[in-house]
Amino acid sequence: MKNCIEELRKQRGIKQEKLAAELEVSRQTIGSLENGRYNPSIILAFKLAKYFGMSIEEIFIYEEEQKND
Amino acid sequence: MINKKVKGQCILAAVGFVLFVTGIVLVILFSESQGVMKTLPFICLGIGAGFCGGGLGGVISYRKMKKNPGLAKQKEIDTKDERNIAITNKAKAMAYNLTLLIFAVLIMFLAVIQVETYITLVFTGAYLVVIFLYIYFFNKYYKEM
Repeated sequence: MKNCIEELRKQRGIKQEKLAAELEVSRQTIGSLENGRYNPSIILAFKLAKYFGMSIEEIFIYEEEQKND
Repeated sequence: MINKKVKGQCILAAVGFVLFVTGIVLVILFSESQGVMKTLPFICLGIGAGFCGGGLGGVISYRKMKKNPGLAKQKEIDTKDERNIAITNKAKAMAYNLTLLIFAVLIMFLAVIQVETYITLVFTGAYLVVIFLYIYFFNKYYKEM
C-alpha cells in the first residue's frame, strides 16, 4: 500500500530513528513502511495518523487492485 | 518480573551444571556399561551443557541490559515490533508447511527401505499428531477471531 510517511517525516525534519522510537517500533519497520514493502496493523496506522495529526486515509493510499497478503 | 526471569535463568544454569557434572561422572563410572547406562551419561551431558549455556547466556544478557538501559529498551522494541512478529509468524508457517512435506517424504522413504514397521508407525503417528494440532488450533483461533 502506498503512503506518504516519508514525505511527512522529511517535511517535519524527523529521522527514521526518532519516528521509530516515538511509535515504539524498529527503524527497519519505518523503512519498510516508507518503501511500501510492509502494511501496518490498524493500531500502528492509528498511531502514525495521531503522530502526524492526520487521518489514516490521508497517509495511506488504498488502490482497488491491491493484492491482500 | 525481570528478577523472576533472572532467577529462572540462574536455576536453569545450576540444574544444567549439575546435569553436566553428573554426566561426566557417569561417563567415567559406567564407561563399559550396556543398555540405558551406555547412553544416559551422554544425554545428561548434552542436556546439562544446553541448560547451563542457555541459563548463563540469559544471566549475562540481563547484566548487560542492566548496565545499558538504552539497549534494553531497543531489545524490548525489537521483540514487540509488529513487523518482526509478522516475519517470525510467516517464517514459522512456511517451516510448518515444509515440515509436513519433509515428514511425508521421510515416511515414504522409511516404508520403501523396509525399516521395522513400528518405526514407520511412530513417524506416521507423529505426522498425524502435528496435523491434528493444526486442526485444533485452527478451530480455536477461528472461534476466537
